[in-house]
Amino acid sequence: MSSVSAAGSAGLAESPRGGSGGGTTPSPARRGRSTGAGPLPYVLVAPVIVFIAGLAFVPAVFTIVQSFFTVNALDPPTRFSGLRNFRALAESDAIRSSLANTALYVVVGVVLSTVLGIVMAILLQRPFRGRSLVIAVLILPWALPGVVEGILWSGIFDPNAGLVSAVMNDVGLGGGHLLLGENRVLTIVLIELVQVWQITPLSVLLVLAALQLIPDELYEAAQIDGCSRWGAIRQITLPLARPGIAVCMVQALVATLNVFDQPYVLNGAAATGATVTMQTYFVSFQNLDFGQGYALSLFITVLTLVGSLVIVKAVYRKVEL
Amino acid sequence: MGAGRGTGTTRRRALQLVAGASLSALLLAGCGGGGGGGQAGGGSTQTSGVTITVALAADPPPKAALDDFTKQTGITVNWVNIDWDSLQTKISAAATAKTYFADATDVDWSRVGQLGKLGWFYPMGDYLDVESMKADMPQLASFTSDGKVVGIPYDASFMVTTYNKKLFDAAGVTKEPTTMDEYTAALQKVKAKGDVEHPLDIPFAASEGLSTYWYETTGAFGGSVLDESGKPQFTDPGSPGYKAAQWMVDAMKNGLVPPGNINVTDSQGQQTLMAKGEVASIFSDYSGTVGTLYDLPDQSSVKGQVRYLATPGVTGPTANLSNPDGVGIPKEAKYPQAAAKFIEWFTSEQQQVDFAGVNGPEKAFTAFPIPSRLSAVEKMTASGNLVYGDQLSTMLEGSKPVFPGGAPTWYPQFSNAVYTNLHAAATGSMSVDDAIKAMGDTATKLSSGQ
Repeated sequence: MSSVSAAGSAGLAESPRGGSGGGTTPSPARRGRSTGAGPLPYVLVAPVIVFIAGLAFVPAVFTIVQSFFTVNALDPPTRFSGLRNFRALAESDAIRSSLANTALYVVVGVVLSTVLGIVMAILLQRPFRGRSLVIAVLILPWALPGVVEGILWSGIFDPNAGLVSAVMNDVGLGGGHLLLGENRVLTIVLIELVQVWQITPLSVLLVLAALQLIPDELYEAAQIDGCSRWGAIRQITLPLARPGIAVCMVQALVATLNVFDQPYVLNGAAATGATVTMQTYFVSFQNLDFGQGYALSLFITVLTLVGSLVIVKAVYRKVEL
Repeated sequence: MGAGRGTGTTRRRALQLVAGASLSALLLAGCGGGGGGGQAGGGSTQTSGVTITVALAADPPPKAALDDFTKQTGITVNWVNIDWDSLQTKISAAATAKTYFADATDVDWSRVGQLGKLGWFYPMGDYLDVESMKADMPQLASFTSDGKVVGIPYDASFMVTTYNKKLFDAAGVTKEPTTMDEYTAALQKVKAKGDVEHPLDIPFAASEGLSTYWYETTGAFGGSVLDESGKPQFTDPGSPGYKAAQWMVDAMKNGLVPPGNINVTDSQGQQTLMAKGEVASIFSDYSGTVGTLYDLPDQSSVKGQVRYLATPGVTGPTANLSNPDGVGIPKEAKYPQAAAKFIEWFTSEQQQVDFAGVNGPEKAFTAFPIPSRLSAVEKMTASGNLVYGDQLSTMLEGSKPVFPGGAPTWYPQFSNAVYTNLHAAATGSMSVDDAIKAMGDTATKLSSGQ
C-alpha cells in the first residue's frame, strides 16, 4: 500500500508546500466581507504589528546596520568600518572552532530530538490509562531553565563525585574516565544529550499534535489491506506527520544553533565545547566589542534562516485532511 | 437616513481607531517601561526617604542590619542577589544602553581597569574620604585606576595556600614547606604514602578560577604575569609565569592532581575534594575557607585538619595576591548620594565586625569571608571569631595586587585566553609551550592596542 493510495482512499491530499491545494483564493463573498469590515482588521492587528516591529524588526535592522560599524566601548567613537567586523570574525580561531562545535551540536541535537520525538509521539498516539500524566511528566525537562539543567547535570557528570563516575567505577570501567573537556566529540555529544533531554518534549508535542489529526479510518483501512503496524507507520504516520516533523526539526535547529547554557555550565569556556553563541557573549560582554557581537549575531541569524529553509524545503509537505 | 448611516459609520470607525490606538499605546508603554525614571546620568542628591537598589552576587545581610540602616538614614535598601556572571553582563548592558539598573553594585578587582577607562562608575573620592580609608584597607589599591577609586572593597578576599595537616603528618612531612621545591616534594610524599591518590587540587576547568590559580603560582615562582604597562612577562621558558604553567600541567601529568580535575572549578574543588579529604592541598585557595568550609561538620569531613600555609616561594614564603570584591556607584544610579551613604555604612569597621559574626550570629552576613578593614580583622582575631586569624591578618597586610599596574582594561579577554589555553594544555590537546605562546600573543596584541 502506498501513501498515495492511503491518502487517496480517505480523500486526503499531500501536496508540496505552496501548491494549489485549493481554498486559497477568496470567494467573491469573502472578498466582499473583507471589504465591508473596513479598517477594523487593520486596527485590531495594529498592536501586534507594533509589538513585532518593536521587538523583532527594529532590533533586527539595528543589528544589521551596526554590524558594519565599530561599536566598542573601549574604542570610541562608533564609526563605519565596512566588513572589518566580519573579517575579524573570519580570522578568529576561536570563532572558527566554535562554528565547527556548533555544527556538531546541531547534527546530534536535531537528529536525536527528532527521532526521539517521533518515536515517543507514536507511543503516545493511542489513548491509554495515565497518558495525560505521562505527557505532563514528559514536559518537565522542557520547563526547566537551561542553566538549572546544566547545574543538575554537572553534578551527574562531576568526574570526582558524580553519578556517571560512580556507576562507571561500580561496573569496573574506572571512575572519572568519562570526562567532559578531554575529547571534543565526546564532550559535545555528552553536552548535547543534556540539551536533547530538554528539547525533546517539545518535539514530542509537535509531532503528537500532527498525529492527532490523522483519522483512525486510515489505519483501519490499512489494516484491512493487510498492512503491518510498521507499514502503517511508514506509509501513513510519517508522511502525514511531515508538517509536524518539519516544525519539530526547525525548533531543534534553532535551539541547538543557539545553545549556550548547557555547554557554558558544564564545560566552561573550553574550546572543546564552546559554541558560536558563547563567542557572541564573550565578544560582546567580555571584550565589549558590540560591533563584532552584532556581526556574529547576524551571521547566526542567517545560518538559522538558511537551515530552517533547507529543512522546510526537504521535510515539509502540505497535508490536507 | 443616509446621513444617519454616515454618522454611525464614522462614529464606529472612530471608536475602532481609538480602540486600536489605545491598545498600541498600551503596548508601547509596556515596551518602554525600562527607562529608569529619566534620572539616567546625574541622579538625585536626595538621601532621605528614598529606596536604593543594591545589586550584588550575594544573599542580603541580616534584615535587622538593613532596617537599622534605614532607621539611621531614611534610606531603604532593595537588595538584589544576581549571580556574578549575570551581574557583570547587566553592568555592561546597562552602562552601554545608559539605563538604570542599580544604585550600588559589584566592582570586581579584575574589571577595575576596564571600568576606570570606561567611566561607568562614579569616582568614590567624590563621595567618600577614600584617603582616610587607605591605611585600614590595604586592598583599596586594587580598586584604583588612573588615581581614581572606582569601588570600595567590602571583603578582603586573597589567595592562600591550604593543606591537610593530618595527611601531611601521616606522610612524614613534619616541617611546613616554605619553597616551591619543598612543597612539591611534600606533595609527592603524600602521594607515595597513599592515603590520597592525588594530593593536589588545581581547578583546570576553563573558568576564571584557573587564571587566578596561575597568577598566584606565578607569584610563588617569583614574578608577575604582566608588567606595569601590561606587557606579558611569561613567554620566556625561564620566566616565573612559564615555570608556573609548566608546574601546574606537570602536576596533572605526574598524578599529583586528580585526572577529573580538567573539568573541576575552584569552588567544586574546595567542596568536593578538599572538604572531603580527597586531596591534601590547594595551592591557591580562598582566604577564610578553613573557618567557612573546612571546619564546618555539615559540609566537611576534615574538620580541624586543614591549615593555612604561608604561601611557598622561590627561597621562602611569598606575598599573597588579592582578589577582593568591591562595591561602587554606576553613573546611571538614581540616588548616588544615598548609595554612597550605604557604601560608607556597608564598609564601616563596626558593620564589618557585625557581619563577621563577632557580635553574634544574628548579625553575621553569610556571604562575608574576611573584612576588608584591618581593624575589623584584628577585632575578629581578638574575639576568636576568625580561625587562624593572626596568620590571615599577617597575610592580608602583606598581600599585593595581581597586576603591578592594576588590572588592564582588556583583562576579561586576557583571562579568557589564559584559562582556555591552560585548560587545553592540561587536557593534552596542546603543549605548555603552545599555550603560553597563545596567551602571550593575546596579551601582546591587547596591550599594544590592536
